[in-house]
Amino acid sequence: MVYVSYEHSQAAIHNSVNTNLLVATENTGKAIDNWMDARKDDIRIISAIAENSEEEKFRKYLSSFQNEHEGVYQEFFIIDPDGKIIFSTLNNPSNVLKESFLKDALEGRLFISDVSLSNTTNLPEVVITNPIRKNDTITGIMGARVSIENLYMIIEGIDIGRSGEIFLVNNKGELIFHKDRFRILHENIKNNFAVKEVIYEKNGVGDYINYKGENVLGSYYWLPLYRWGLVVEQNRDEAYADMMTLEKETATISIFAVFCVVLVAIVISKRITEPIESLKNGAAGLVKGNFKPISVTSKNEIGELTEIFNQTAEELLEIRKKLETKIELANKDLEVKNKELILANEELKKLDSLKSDFLSLVSHELKTPLSAIRTSAEFLDSEETMEPDIRKEMLKNVISNVDRLTRLINDILDLSKIEAGKMEFHYEKVNVEEIAKVAIENIRYLALKNNIAVSMEIPEDLSPVLADRDKLIIVLNNLLGNALKFTYNGGRVILSAIEEKDDIEIRVEDTGMGIDKDKVSKIFDKFYQADSTSRRKTGGSGLGLTISRGIIRAHGSEICVESEPQKGSSFYFKLKKYET
Amino acid sequence: MNKNIDDKIVELIKKNENISNKEISRIIGIPEKEVEMRIRGYSDSREKIMIVDDEMATLLPLKRSLEAQGYIVIEAYDGYQAIEKSKTEVPELIVLDLMLPGIDGFEVCAQLKKDEITGKIPVIMLTAKDEVRDKVEGLEMGADDYVTKPFNLNELKARIKNILKRSRES
Repeated sequence: MVYVSYEHSQAAIHNSVNTNLLVATENTGKAIDNWMDARKDDIRIISAIAENSEEEKFRKYLSSFQNEHEGVYQEFFIIDPDGKIIFSTLNNPSNVLKESFLKDALEGRLFISDVSLSNTTNLPEVVITNPIRKNDTITGIMGARVSIENLYMIIEGIDIGRSGEIFLVNNKGELIFHKDRFRILHENIKNNFAVKEVIYEKNGVGDYINYKGENVLGSYYWLPLYRWGLVVEQNRDEAYADMMTLEKETATISIFAVFCVVLVAIVISKRITEPIESLKNGAAGLVKGNFKPISVTSKNEIGELTEIFNQTAEELLEIRKKLETKIELANKDLEVKNKELILANEELKKLDSLKSDFLSLVSHELKTPLSAIRTSAEFLDSEETMEPDIRKEMLKNVISNVDRLTRLINDILDLSKIEAGKMEFHYEKVNVEEIAKVAIENIRYLALKNNIAVSMEIPEDLSPVLADRDKLIIVLNNLLGNALKFTYNGGRVILSAIEEKDDIEIRVEDTGMGIDKDKVSKIFDKFYQADSTSRRKTGGSGLGLTISRGIIRAHGSEICVESEPQKGSSFYFKLKKYET
Repeated sequence: MNKNIDDKIVELIKKNENISNKEISRIIGIPEKEVEMRIRGYSDSREKIMIVDDEMATLLPLKRSLEAQGYIVIEAYDGYQAIEKSKTEVPELIVLDLMLPGIDGFEVCAQLKKDEITGKIPVIMLTAKDEVRDKVEGLEMGADDYVTKPFNLNELKARIKNILKRSRES
C-alpha cells in the first residue's frame, strides 16, 4: 500500500515538476515573443514614420526613441533598394550583411536576422528590417540593430530554480543566449539532447544527460519565428528534490510502519500465543495426567478460555482419577477371573482328555469282545468242514465273549446310574455274615482254581447293618474278585468284619502283589488297571472298583485302601449299624 | 528237542517212503496231528503269519481261520514277544494289535521297521481305535495296512493275501 501510494505520489510529483518546467519554458518563450513582437512593432512604426517624415525630424524622433529604449537600439539605418546606406543614426554606419535581409525587405516582408555579435559593441544583437513604402512602392529599407541584452535580462528574470539553466540556440545549435555572455556564439551545444530535439523544431520535456554530463530535466521550446530553440534545463536531483524527499519520507514512513506493524504483531502474537502455548502445554499435561492449572494472564477471550480450560481440566482429572480407580479394580477383578478361567480351562482340558481317554477305553473294551464274537462266528460260517474241537472252541469263544460283553454293558449301565444318581437303593437290615457267605460262594470256584485260600472272620454276634443287600453283595464280590486276581497261587484272602461303636467295619485282605503307592489313588478310576498286563490275566472290565465305590458312597461311606507292594492289599469300609 | 523229533521223522520217511503219519506218530510218541503238521512244515512253502494280540478271544478265531487258509500262524501276546519272535521266526506278515500291555503296537511297529531283517516284514495294524489320528500314526510308523475291530474276517483275509502277493512280487 505504501509502495502504491509512493508510486502515485512519485508520478504526481514527476508530472508536476515536468509541467512546471514546461510552463516556465513556455512563459519564457512567450516573453521572448512578446519582447520581439514589441521590437517588430517598433520597426514597423519607425518604417511608417520614415516614409512620411523629414530627415531632421526623423532623426530627432529616433534619438528620443533610442533614449526611450535605452540600450536596445544600437543603430537605426535606411538602405535604398539597391543596398546603399542612405541613412544611419551612427556617424559610421556599421557594415551589416545586406544580402541577408535585402531580398525579404524588397519583397515587402519584415526580416529578423540571426543573432550575431555586434562589430561595434561585440554584444549579441539582431538586425530587424522592414521595407519603407511610398504609394505601395518600396522606396527603401528601414533597419535597426537591436541589442538583445534587454531580452536576456527578461529571460534571466524568469524563475527557473536555483540550478536551472536557460539556453537559446540558433538553428545550428550555437548558443545565442546564456547567462555567461562570453559563451554566446562561441559554443555549439547541438550534441545536447534537448538542443538536438529543439533544432528539429520539436517542443517537449525529458530526462537526459546534458552536455556537461549532468542528469537533468530539460524542457525545449522551438521559436519558429526566429528559428531559435529555447532550452531550460534543471538539475534532476533539484527538480525532483521534492520527489526525493517524498521518496525518503516514504521509505522512512514505510520502514517505521513496517517496524511498528512487526512490533505490534510480535506483542499481539505474544499476548495471543503465550496463553495458547500454555493452554497447549496444559492440555498435553492433562493428557499425560500431570496437569497443573495454567495461570491466567489476560482478561480477554483467551483468558476466559484458559479459566474454562482449568475448570474442565480439574473436572477431567477428577473423573480420570475415579476412572483409574475403577479400572484398577476392574483389572484386579479381571485378573482374578482370568486366573479362575485358566484354572477352569485346565480342568476342562483335563476332563476333556479324561473323557476322550474314557471313550477310547470304553470303545476298546466293547469292541474287543465284539470283534472276537464276529471273527469266531465268521470263521464258523466260512468253513464247511471243520473239526469238532475247533468248532467247539469257536462256539465257546463266542459265548464267553457274549458274557463278557453283557457283564461289561451291565457294569457300564450300573456305573452310569450311580453317576447320574439314578440307581435305586433298598436299605434294609442286612446280616453281614449271611451276605459274606453268598459272596464267598460266588468266587469259590475261581479261588479253588487258583489255589487261594479264602476265609471269613466274622463274629457270630455281629450287629446287622443298614444296607442294600444285593448291592453290598456286588461290592463284596468285586473286592473278593480283585483280591483273587492279584494274589499268587497259594496265597490267602480274608473277608472280615469288626463291630465298632456305631459302625461295622468290613475288610477284604489279601496276600497278593499289592499296589504301588503312586497308583493307589487311581485304582478307583474307570477301566484303570494298575498293571497294564493285568487285563489279559484277570479279564476284568475295569469298572468293578468304580462301581463299588459308588455303592459304598451311596451308603454314606468310603472304601479305604491299605497296600504294600508284594505283601498284599486291604480294602475296607464302614457301614452304619441297623437301628431298631 | 523239537529238532530231534523232526530229524527222527525225516529219518523214518527216508527209510520208508510210504510210511503213514499214524505209524510215525506211534514210533516217536507224538500225536498224529503234530506229525502231519511237522511234515507239512518241512517242504513248507506256506507263508508264516504272526498274530500279536493280548486278547486270546480275538487271537484264537483269527489264528484258526488263517490256519484253515493254509498259513502257518505264530502267536505273540505282547510287544516284547512280538519283536523277539519276528526276529527268530521271520514271518512273512504280522497282524499287530495296537492296545498291547508293555509297549504298544505303534512302538512295536517302529522297532520292527528299524531292524534290517524285520524291517521288510509287512505289518497290518489291528485295533479298536478307529480315529483318523491313530490310522495316520500307524501308517507313519510304517504299517502297510490298518484294520479296525470288529473286522470282517473275509476282508482281513483278502488284505493279507494282497499284501503277501505284493511282497512276493517285490
